[in-house]
Amino acid sequence: MAKLTLEPIGTPRERALDETTYRAQRTHLEGLNAALRAKRDEVRAGWGPEYRARVEKKGKLSTWDRIERLKDAGSPVLSVGTLVNYGRVFGEERKSSPGAGVVTAFVRVEDRWVVAIANDNTVASGSWWPQTPEKIQRAQEIALRLRLPVVYLVDCSGLFLPEQAHTFPGREGAGAIFRMNALLSDAGVPQIAGVHGDCIAGGGYMPIISDVVYMTEQAYMVIAGAALVKGAKSSKITSLSIGGPDVHVHLSRCADHRVPDDDALLTSVRREVAKLPGSACAYYRYGAQAAPPRHAPEELDGLFPVDHRHAYDMREVLARLTDHSLFHEFAPATGPEMICGLARVSGLYAGFVANNLALTDHPVHGGVKRPGGILYRDGIAKVAQFSRACNDDGIPIVWLQDIAGFDIGPEAEKEGLLGYGSSLIYANSTNTVPMFTVLLRKASGAGYYAMAGLPYAPILQLATPLTRLAVMEGRTLAIGAFNSKLDDDFKIVAASEREAAEIAKGMEAVEARIARDMDPVLAASQRDVDEIVTPGELRLWVCSAIEMAYQAIGARRVKNPRIFSFHDLDRLIR
Amino acid sequence: MFKRVLVANRGEIAARVIRACRELGIETVAVYSEADRDAPWLSGATATVCLGPAKASLSYLDQDAVLQAADQTEARAIHPGYGFLSENAVFAARCAQQGIAFIGPTPASIRLMGDKLEAKRTMAAAGVPTIPGSLGALRSADEAAALAERVGYPVLLKAAAGGGGKGMRRCDDARALPRAFSEAALEAQHAFGDPRLYLEKFLEGGRHIEFQVLADTYGRAVHLGERDCSVQRHHQKLVEESPSPAIGAAERADLGARAAAAAASFGYVSAGTLEFLRDASGGLVFMEMNTRLQVEHPVTELCTGIDLVREQIGIAANRPLSMTQDGIRFSGHAIELRINAEDPDAGFAPDPGLVTAVSIPASPGGGVTVRWDGGVAAGWRVPPHYDSLVGKLIVHAADRPAAIAAAREALSALRLDGIKTTIPLHHRILDDPDFVAGTYDVSFLERKALAAVPRG
Repeated sequence: MAKLTLEPIGTPRERALDETTYRAQRTHLEGLNAALRAKRDEVRAGWGPEYRARVEKKGKLSTWDRIERLKDAGSPVLSVGTLVNYGRVFGEERKSSPGAGVVTAFVRVEDRWVVAIANDNTVASGSWWPQTPEKIQRAQEIALRLRLPVVYLVDCSGLFLPEQAHTFPGREGAGAIFRMNALLSDAGVPQIAGVHGDCIAGGGYMPIISDVVYMTEQAYMVIAGAALVKGAKSSKITSLSIGGPDVHVHLSRCADHRVPDDDALLTSVRREVAKLPGSACAYYRYGAQAAPPRHAPEELDGLFPVDHRHAYDMREVLARLTDHSLFHEFAPATGPEMICGLARVSGLYAGFVANNLALTDHPVHGGVKRPGGILYRDGIAKVAQFSRACNDDGIPIVWLQDIAGFDIGPEAEKEGLLGYGSSLIYANSTNTVPMFTVLLRKASGAGYYAMAGLPYAPILQLATPLTRLAVMEGRTLAIGAFNSKLDDDFKIVAASEREAAEIAKGMEAVEARIARDMDPVLAASQRDVDEIVTPGELRLWVCSAIEMAYQAIGARRVKNPRIFSFHDLDRLIR
Repeated sequence: MFKRVLVANRGEIAARVIRACRELGIETVAVYSEADRDAPWLSGATATVCLGPAKASLSYLDQDAVLQAADQTEARAIHPGYGFLSENAVFAARCAQQGIAFIGPTPASIRLMGDKLEAKRTMAAAGVPTIPGSLGALRSADEAAALAERVGYPVLLKAAAGGGGKGMRRCDDARALPRAFSEAALEAQHAFGDPRLYLEKFLEGGRHIEFQVLADTYGRAVHLGERDCSVQRHHQKLVEESPSPAIGAAERADLGARAAAAAASFGYVSAGTLEFLRDASGGLVFMEMNTRLQVEHPVTELCTGIDLVREQIGIAANRPLSMTQDGIRFSGHAIELRINAEDPDAGFAPDPGLVTAVSIPASPGGGVTVRWDGGVAAGWRVPPHYDSLVGKLIVHAADRPAAIAAAREALSALRLDGIKTTIPLHHRILDDPDFVAGTYDVSFLERKALAAVPRG
C-alpha cells in the first residue's frame, strides 16, 4: 500500500522541560531576540525621522509604508537582507546604509506571495550602495527560481556615487539587476513596476523591462537628470518635464499608466496582481487543510539551552514546525544522529533534515555512545538518499542545522566519510527541488556544507540569534593552533604557571576572534545568511517558504504522494 | 495632470472644453476645418491645427487627421466633445493604442452601449427598469405572440441587428402580429443581413428623463441627478431642465443609485447619461445610454456645483472621483434653452449667416445665475456644414418659477443679430401654461404647434 502515515511527534512542553529551565531559557533568548528586533527597528527607521518627514512633505509615502499598503491587510512582511550593511559606514562622513537602502520582502498581495523590491526613499534618495545590487539580485533570484511575481516600487536616484567603484562595474554590480529583469521576463515571471519618485540612470532603467509600469504624477524616469543637460537652465528644463508621466506615458510609452499618487499606484498594482493566476497551494494540498502545530511554535523560544554546548531534543523543534505536530520519520533506526522525515506544512508536503543532538548508539560496537550533532557514515548515507528522494518527488526540503561537523579520526577516515560526504554534496548540488536552510544553532565546517549551507544554493538561508557559523568552533581552532602544548585530553601542559596562563590566554584570544566571526549579524551584514529570525518566528517562515515553493503551478516537478520514491525506500530499508 | 489636450470638436462645446482646460492649467490644441478657420473659440486655445475641408467626414470625422494633429502637437489626451467621434469605439481604441488618453469611456463600453439589445440586457441585469419585452432575439412568431400577450399591446417588433426604423413594425393587436413578424424579419434580413427580431412594449408619448452618471477607473460611480428633456421637435431636444418636475426625491435617489451601480457594473468610466422614458403608466424605463458628455450637461452642473468636464479630465488621468454620492447636493433649479441658427417660423430652416452683433445677458445676482455656452461672435459667419446649435442659454435659480422668470428675462436680453434663431420659439415655450405647470411631455411641441406663429 503506497500510503504515507504521519505519526505524532513531540511532547507537551510541561513534560519536555521543567518550568524553571524553560523560563530561564526563554529569558535568555528573549534578550537576544530583543536585540535583534532593535536592530530591525533601526534599519526600518532609515536615515531617521527627518528624512521620513521630507518624503511625507512631498505627499509621498515612506517605503515601508508603501509595503504596508501593498500587502493584504493583516498579512506579514517577511523581509530578507534586512541587516545587509549593518554596522558598515561609508566615506569620510561615515554614512550608514540601513538595509543597503532597499527593502526586499515576501508579502501577500491578493492572496498570492510576491517578491517586493522597494528602494528606501529615506536613505540617500533610494540610491544603490555596495551590496545593494547583490541584495536586489538575491530577491530576483528567489523570484526566478520559484516563479514568484515581482513588484518593484522604484524610488531610486541611481548609484550612490561616492561608492560607484564598488557597485558599477562588477559581474554582480548594478547592471546585473537589469540582466535579472530580462531573465525573469524570459522565464515568464510577471514583473510589475510602480515608479514613485526621482528615478535617475539605474533607477530610470529599473522599471522598463517590467510587464506594466505605473507612474505617479510626481515621478520621473531619466537616463540623466536635468542637471547634466546642457542648456537646461535657460530652457527651464527639469527632470520632471523631460521624464515625467507626461512624456513617458503618452509620448515615449516607456510607462503605461499615470496615477495621481502613491496610494492610487499601490491600488493599481494590487489590481494587476489580481489578474495573475492564483496560487496552486490549494491544489497541492490534496484535500488536506493547513493546520497549526499541536505544540505551540512560540515555545521554540524557550527550548534552547543557555549554554550552546548543551543538547536539546530536536524532535521537539520539529513538533513545533509541522502541521498537527505529525511527522513520518524515514529510517529512524539507521544513522540515528540524523532525523529525516516528511510532514505537512500549511497542508503541503515538506521534507525535513535535522541533527539529533542526543547521544546515539554506535551501530557496531554495542554499548558505545557517540555524541550528537555530528555526521557519521550511516547518517550521511541516509541524508543523501533522503535528499535524492525528495528531489525525485518534488518535495521541498527544510534543513535544520545544529551541527558541529563530520566525525573525525581513524574510523571516520577508514569508513571513507570523505566519499560519503561528497556523495551527499553531489546530490544537494544537483537538486532542483527548492531547499530552505535554517542555521538553528551550530553550523560548522563541512557539516554546514553537507546540510545545504549557502554554497549549495538553497532558496533561502535563515539564521537565529543563536547561530554559530564558522569553519569550526573557537575551541576546536584553539586546540588545533596550540596542539603542541596540549596532552591527549587537550589539557594544557606547561613548564610553569605563567606559561600555562599565557597559553590559556592565547587560546581564549583565538576563541574570541572566532566568536566574533560567528556572530550571525556579521553574516547577515555580508549576505552570508538571508535573514535572522527568532525561533518563535520559524514556523511562520517555514510555512511561507513552503507555500511559495508550491505557488507557481508548472514551475517544477510535483509528484503525487501515491508514487513517492519513499514508498520504494520504505520497502528496502526495514 | 496632462500637459496638453486636443479638443476634437467645434462650436460651443469646443469653447467649453478649452475653458475647463485653461482653468486646470492645461494647454489646448483646437482642431478646425476650413469652414471654421476664423472661428471665435480658436483664440482661446494654445495651438490650432487645420484638419481639412469643411465637410465633416474630411475634417472633424477624419480619425487619421485628428490623430496626426495630436501626434504633431504632442497632445497627451483628446476630448471628443459630443457627436463626431465621441462615441466611436474604434477611434477610442486607436487613441489608447497610441498612448493618447481618450477622455471618455473605454472602447468596450462604447461598443456595449451601442448595441441596443446588449445595453438593455446589461441594464436589466444591474437592476435598472427596462422596457417590458424580450431581452434577446425571438425564436418564432409564436414566442412573439406569447410575449406580446404578457406585455400588453401595442407592441413594437425591432431588428436585433439594426436601427433607423428598418425592420421595425408596430402591432396593435394579436391578429396583426404574425404578418408584422414576417414582414419585419424580411426587411431586417434585407437591410442588415440578419432577420432576428426582438419585441418591446410600444411606448407612446411620455417624458424623456435622463440621469447623469460619473465613474472613475477605480470602479466608483455616482449619479448627479436627472434632467427632463421632453421639449423636443423631431426627437431633437430644445429645452432641458433639472430637476424634472415629474420626479420626486425618493425616486431620484433610487433610480440614480441604480444608474450609477449599472455604470460601475460593466466598468464604465467618465461621464455618461442613461436615458429613460416615463410613459402614461408612470414607470420609468431605460431607453439607451449615451456614452459621452451631453449638450445639456450645464443644467446638472448648475444644480450640483460640479464641473463635469473637469471631472472627465481628472478621470482620464486616473484620478479617483473627487466626490462621494453622499457629498453631492442638489440645489435650486436650472433651465437650458438651445439657441439654434434656424427659423422656427419657416419650418426650422437652417439660417447660417453673418452674425452682426452678440449681446449676452449677465447674471443679475440675487440668487440667479445666467450662463452662456456659446460658439459665436460678432463678425463671424456661421457655416452651413454642421448642426445649427450656436449657443446655450442656461439659468439657475432657487426654484422652478424663479428659474422660468429668470429664463424669460435672460432670453429677452439675449441678442444674436444677423441670423434667425429659435429665440422667439423659446419665448413661446416659456409662456406656455403646460410648460409653466410642468405637465408637458414629448408630444408637447407638436401638439401645441408652437412652431407656427399665428399669422395675421
